[in-house]
Amino acid sequence: MDAFYIITVSTLIAISCGILGCFLILRKMAMVGDAISHAVLPGIVLAYFITGTRDSIWMIVGAGMLGIFTTFLIEFFHKKARLQTDAAIGVTFTWLFALGIILISVFAGQVDLDQDCVLYGEIAYVPIDLWITESGQNYGPRALHVSYIVLILIVLFVRVGFKQLYLTTFDPAFAATVGISVSLWNYLLMGAVSMTTVASFDSVGAILVVALLVAPPATAYLLTDKFKYMLIITCIIAVIISFFGYYLAVYLDGSIAGAIVTVAGILFMLAFLFSPSNGIVFKRYLQKKEAAKLSQEPAQ
Amino acid sequence: MASIIFKRITAVFLTCLLLSACGGSDKSAENDKLSVVTTTGMIADVVKNVGKDSVQVQALMGPGVDPHLYKATQGDLGRLQRADIIFYNGLHLEGKMGEVFEKLERIKNVVPVAGRIDVSRLLSDPVYKDAHDPHVWFDVKLWSSTIEVVVEILSNEDPENAAFYQQNGKDFNTELQLLDNWVRTQISTVPLDKRIMITAHDAFNYFGRAYNIEVRGLQGISTLSEFGLKDRVDLVNFIVEKQIKAVFVETSVSQKNIDAIIEGCQQKGHDVIVGGYLYSDAMGAEGTPEGTYTGMVRANVNTIVKSLR
Repeated sequence: MDAFYIITVSTLIAISCGILGCFLILRKMAMVGDAISHAVLPGIVLAYFITGTRDSIWMIVGAGMLGIFTTFLIEFFHKKARLQTDAAIGVTFTWLFALGIILISVFAGQVDLDQDCVLYGEIAYVPIDLWITESGQNYGPRALHVSYIVLILIVLFVRVGFKQLYLTTFDPAFAATVGISVSLWNYLLMGAVSMTTVASFDSVGAILVVALLVAPPATAYLLTDKFKYMLIITCIIAVIISFFGYYLAVYLDGSIAGAIVTVAGILFMLAFLFSPSNGIVFKRYLQKKEAAKLSQEPAQ
Repeated sequence: MASIIFKRITAVFLTCLLLSACGGSDKSAENDKLSVVTTTGMIADVVKNVGKDSVQVQALMGPGVDPHLYKATQGDLGRLQRADIIFYNGLHLEGKMGEVFEKLERIKNVVPVAGRIDVSRLLSDPVYKDAHDPHVWFDVKLWSSTIEVVVEILSNEDPENAAFYQQNGKDFNTELQLLDNWVRTQISTVPLDKRIMITAHDAFNYFGRAYNIEVRGLQGISTLSEFGLKDRVDLVNFIVEKQIKAVFVETSVSQKNIDAIIEGCQQKGHDVIVGGYLYSDAMGAEGTPEGTYTGMVRANVNTIVKSLR
């Protein structure tokens, strides 16, 4: 059952992150996941100051609030200060992370408080991190419940707002003229991203989430020019990397998250080399064929 | 169109799951020894001394691993699930993993050995009283109280050998009392005003309290709380003023911060040396004397006494 739980949770989270990632990379905001993973630190610290415990639930609440605040700030700097998105992301998360470090060193130097030990989960713990009520009733892995709820919410969100999200991603100016509020949908998307990432950090750890937001959509991007296909390919990649990543980890007796990300990287390299539309190998082949044609033409 | 695609994705997913279900066949334990998994090597050492041949002990965190940064592997997961008993430190030493264990206690035999120590004997944050320092193992007397917990749990799980565990527990307790006395006599050879220990990480607070040594750390308990510039200046002044001869480096924490202090002292014309490597959050390699709890404590005390005296 371990394999089943881990692969299922990884797949569900990879699909949620992948769907959002498709929008993010087209908006040049792929690293927003990494930004959130750092920027939640002050949220954790403040949640600890207020509640006095390091229980996951309060840490998630604190981190979630800061996640939304982070995306709000990024959007704000980008809009009002006309900063490029990458610069807006960089300024925001480093600043918030620094704030968190200062809060810790000034007020809680003797408390072990950082994302690694209070927020980030580890995918290997999925089968043993069970949802057990006080009375001893066992409802199975907690992360499983979290991950399908997140996926349902994300699919609903994208399904309901697909037209708006699509237009504001590809042609914000046109979207504005037909009466779609570009910033509203930006904020909604960013809210969805921070909710998904924070919930997933707690279930499977940070590096996996950051990678799943970027690698599968980027691979899919190389394989197709159609956005709908990009979403579908991302989902298929999510299944493949979870499955092979898990068994790579079993084979190596290594970190599962590490193995999944490695497989994602290998798939990306394969797409980079062999994609029918954008792959290096195929392009070379076409160029050679073209060159051969050209050199033959005068002879005819 | 969309439904066909959805079906295909589901099909791929289900095939993968089926394959995965066929793959895993758990090997059942081939002997009737109690299988015990612990997080740190120090706890494994207690269990080994109490259980001797009748238990099989495995520590998840190997030599030189910082418990704060430890990440479980696929194999660790299997070890945890096959274990009859899991002992962990508690008091947030294991971070998020500790929280998983806490919940697992409701359905499995999972025990926080340091978490069972009476709260009045623990050090805690001056402001947040519920945040206790988890590095309890360097106060030998305090650590010996974990023997009782291990004996009790092993006896419950394996009543046939209860007398055996009790006897071993008693023996090990005596050994630790002797060790405690030895540490005291060793430390007493260092003049009182020289008993100041400076290390990279606050893992020695219990040690300092138990053996009357002033301990100054270079960083907070959290690996993220960086040492402030002012703290650094204060510490350098403190070292120069008290004419401290040596500072210590820990095997599982980086040396960088300590080096900065040494340099700061040299600029003030005071030579301070690295007194040696101390074992802090993890023991030495298995098979060496430092690979056991008593060996680790002896090695640390020898290093400290030699360079402070």
